[in-house]
Amino acid sequence: MLSEVETELLSVMMVVIMAGMGASLTFKDFAIALRRPQGMLVGLVCQYGIMPLLAFLLAETLGLSPGLSIGLILMGCMPGGTTSNMFTYFSRGVLPLSILMTLCSTLAAVVMVPATLELYSSDIGGHWHIPLTNAVQVVALLLVPTLLGMGLRKLNANAGALVELVGAVGGACVIVFLIASWVPRNWHLLLDTGADVYAASVGLGMLGFLLGYLLARALNQDRNTSRTIALETGIQNSPLAALIALLSFPGPEQQEVLLIPILYSLFIVLGATLATLWFRRLAEREEIARDNARFEMMADLA
Amino acid sequence: MAETTVHHFAPWAGRYSQDIDWNLKPPASPNLAALVSTTARAYARQQAFTCVMPNGMYGNLSFEETDRLSDDFAVYLREVLGIGPGKRVAVQMPNSLVTPVVVFGILKAGCVLVNVNPLCDAGEMQRQFKDSGAEALVICDLFTDKLADILPDTPVRDVLVASVSSLFPPLVRHVIQGIMRWWNRVVPPVAFGATRLEHALADGRRIREGRNVEVRQYWAGIAHGDLALLQYSAGTTGVAKGAMLSHGNLLWNVEQIAAMGRAGIVDGKEVVLTALPLYHIFAFTTNLLAFFRVGARNILVPDPRPIRKLQRAFENYPITWISGVNTMYGALLHEEWFNVYPPRHLKAAIGGGAPMHPAIVRRWERLTNSRLLEGYGLTETSPLVCFQLVNGPPKTESIGIPAPRTEVRLLDEHGRPTAQGMPGELVVRGPQVMHGYWKLPHETAQVLRDGWLHTGDIAVMDEDFSFRIVDRKNDLITVSGLSVYPNEIEEVLSSHEKVMEAAVIGVPSAKTGEAVHAYVIKRDQSLDEAELERHCRRHLAVYKLPARFVFCDALPKSAVGKVLRRELRRQAMLERSRPAAAGAAPARNKPAKERA
Repeated sequence: MLSEVETELLSVMMVVIMAGMGASLTFKDFAIALRRPQGMLVGLVCQYGIMPLLAFLLAETLGLSPGLSIGLILMGCMPGGTTSNMFTYFSRGVLPLSILMTLCSTLAAVVMVPATLELYSSDIGGHWHIPLTNAVQVVALLLVPTLLGMGLRKLNANAGALVELVGAVGGACVIVFLIASWVPRNWHLLLDTGADVYAASVGLGMLGFLLGYLLARALNQDRNTSRTIALETGIQNSPLAALIALLSFPGPEQQEVLLIPILYSLFIVLGATLATLWFRRLAEREEIARDNARFEMMADLA
Repeated sequence: MAETTVHHFAPWAGRYSQDIDWNLKPPASPNLAALVSTTARAYARQQAFTCVMPNGMYGNLSFEETDRLSDDFAVYLREVLGIGPGKRVAVQMPNSLVTPVVVFGILKAGCVLVNVNPLCDAGEMQRQFKDSGAEALVICDLFTDKLADILPDTPVRDVLVASVSSLFPPLVRHVIQGIMRWWNRVVPPVAFGATRLEHALADGRRIREGRNVEVRQYWAGIAHGDLALLQYSAGTTGVAKGAMLSHGNLLWNVEQIAAMGRAGIVDGKEVVLTALPLYHIFAFTTNLLAFFRVGARNILVPDPRPIRKLQRAFENYPITWISGVNTMYGALLHEEWFNVYPPRHLKAAIGGGAPMHPAIVRRWERLTNSRLLEGYGLTETSPLVCFQLVNGPPKTESIGIPAPRTEVRLLDEHGRPTAQGMPGELVVRGPQVMHGYWKLPHETAQVLRDGWLHTGDIAVMDEDFSFRIVDRKNDLITVSGLSVYPNEIEEVLSSHEKVMEAAVIGVPSAKTGEAVHAYVIKRDQSLDEAELERHCRRHLAVYKLPARFVFCDALPKSAVGKVLRRELRRQAMLERSRPAAAGAAPARNKPAKERA
C-alpha cells in the first residue's frame, strides 16, 4: 500500500477536495437531500446488505483460499469511501446525498463492520481488530472541511467557487496519482495474480455498482439518485480495509489477506472513472431532455 | 381631458388603481442617455447589475460604475472609431455586465443600437448587419466563428469582442475565461481583426480623462423623436424587419411599465431576476430600462438552460420581481429546489412573450404566494401594450388592461369596431408605437395606418374591460366561411393523454375553401388516427374537425421555440405541388406518417 508520507499527503488532499465539494453546496442542498431520507436508507442497505453478501458469494463461487476470502469479505464489509463523493461530484450526481451516505455508513460502521465480518467470516476464522477511532477520524475528515467549504460559499460565492475549482482539480490529480503510483508499486501483482483473484477484485466493485443501481431503481429512486447510490455502493473505504488487515493479521498471512484490497483499490479507481464519464453524459442528457420534453421549449420568445 | 371622454374611448381607465394615472406625465428625460445619467446619479453607490454564473460566481456593477464605463464606451465609439451620431452599432451578447455598459454607451454616443440575437445563424446576422448598416459590432467571444465568413460582406468596420465574464473581478474573470477556453472549449479563435472590449474601454477612459471629453455633449441634442433602437423581429412573414423605436417610444414605455407596476415597486429597493435575454424587447425595456430607472438591482443570468442554472441566483439574492415566459415558469415549478425554497421576497412575476398557461399561473401563485401578472406587447410597441393590474383580482388567460395613454381597439374584417365580447383584430395607438419598419415603407404602411398599429392578433374584450388574445390573424383558418381558431383545436389535441404536442394549420381546399390539418407528436406510440378523431369529435364542432392528421417526430420551431405554423403551411404547399406524391391526397382513412 501507500507509504506513510503518501498517506499523509492523501489525507491533506482529501481535506482540500472535501472543502471544494462543500464549497459547491449550500445548506439548502443538504436540507433538500434530508427531506428524502429513503435514498440514504437504500444506500445503507446496499452498503451493509448487498456488498458483504456479494463478497461472500464471490469468494464461495470462485473457490478462493481462506486468506483471499478474508481479504475479499473484509473489503465487502467496509463503509463507503470518501472518494465516492468526488466521483459523484464529477458525474453530476446528487452530491449532498453521497456525502450523507458516506457519513451514515461510516457512523454505522462502528456496529455494522464487526457484525457483518462476524457473520460472513466466522466459518473461515480470523480475529478481527477493528480500530473504532478510525470511524471518528473519517467522519471528522469528511465533515469539517465540507462545512468549512459550505461556510465559505455562503460568505462569498466567488471565493467558494474558487475553492470548489481547486478541490475539483485536486480530485482529478488524486485520481491520476492513485492510478500512477499504484502501477509501479504493485505491477508484479498484475502479472502473478490468477484469473479468480482478478474476477474477485474487479467483480466486487463493478457488481456493486450494478446491484446498487438496480436495487435503488427497484426502490423507486430516480436515475440520478440511483447512479449516486451505485457509486456509493461500489466504492468502499479501502484504506480502512488495509488498516484492519494490518492490525488483525500481523503474521505471514498478511500478504495474502491484503492482495484483494490492493487490487480492488486500483480497479475501483479505474472503474469509477469510466462510470463517472458515462454517468456524466447521461446526467447532462437527461437534464436537457427533461427541460425540453416537459416544457416543449425554454423560450416562448420569438 | 375630461374624465367622461377618457372612459368613453378607454373604458378600462376606470379600473386603474390610484397609482396609475391615465394622464401619465411625459418622461422627464429628453432621451435615454439622460435617463441613464440621472438615474445613475440618484443611486450612485447601489448595485445596478449583478451577473450570476450557474455555480454562483458573480460580478457587480454599481450605478456609478455603469455610468462611468458607458461614458468610456461612448468616447471610444466617437473618438477612436469615429462613429458619428445616428450611425448604427450592433450588439450581440448574452446577458452579462457588458450589455448595460455597451447599450448605454451606444445611446450616449448618440448612435442607434441594433440588438442582435447571439443565436442567429451567419446568414441572418449578415442580413441584419447589412440591412441596418451597422458600422461597429460588439459580439460575444462564444459566437465569433459565425462572423469570420460574412464579415467582409457587411458594413461592419470595427468588431469588439467581449466575454460573458468581462468586467468581473480579475481573478474570477480569468478563471471563468480559462475554463471556457481550455476546459469547455467553447471559445473559438478569432479569425479576423478585432479589439477586446476591455481595451476599448481603457482607451475610451484614457481619452475621456486626458482630453476632458464631456460625454453629455454627444447626447445633448437628442430628442424624443430621434431613433434609438432597431429591433429586428421575424413577424409573421418570416423575414426579419427592423422596428424603429425612438428615444420617446422607449422612454414612454418605461414610464408606462413603471406606472403599471408602481403598486409593487419601491424605488431603489427592488431586485429583479433577468433570465430572459436582454437583446429581446421584453427584457430590454422591462428589465434593462424600466427596472434600472426605478433603481432596481438587475440579477443577470447569461443562459437559463437547463433551468437548474437559476438555482444559485435564487438562493443568493432576495429577488422581488421576475420577468419570464410561460415555459420558464413551468420549468421552475418542476424543480425540487424551487418547490422546497420558493423565493421569499417575491412581490410579483411578469409573464409575456407567449400566452401563459392557466395551470402554471395558478400553481406559481400558490407556491410563491405572489401574483404572476400576464402582459401583452410587441416589438413594434416597445413592447408593453397591456398588463394585468398588480392589485387586481387574479384572472388567467387574460392580458389585462392597456397601459396609460395606450388606446386599444378591436376591429372586424371590415375595419369596424366589434361589440364587447366579440373577437376582433387588436389595433393599438400610443406613444410607444414604433415609427415604422426600417427602410420598408410598404410593410410599414400595411401595419401602421393613421397612427394605429395593426397587430394581427385576434382579441376579445371581457366585461371587466380586460383583454384576451384568441389567436393570430394570419393563422386563422376559414372552413366553408366559418372561422376556426387553431389554438382551440391544438388545445383539444394536446388534452389527449397520448399526445405530446400538436400544431394546426389551414390548407387550401377545393371543397371548403380551407381545410384543417393537424400535425401531432405522439407521447404514446399506440395512438392512431381513429382514436384521435373520436377524441376530436367529442370536443369540437364538425367543421372544426381536422381533415387530416399527420404524425411526426418534431415540429418546426423558431430559434427560440415557438411552433412555426407558417413553415408547416409552406411544407404542406410544397407537398401539394408535388404531383402524385405519396401523401399529396388527403389520407383521410389511412394513418399518414411523415417527418415534419
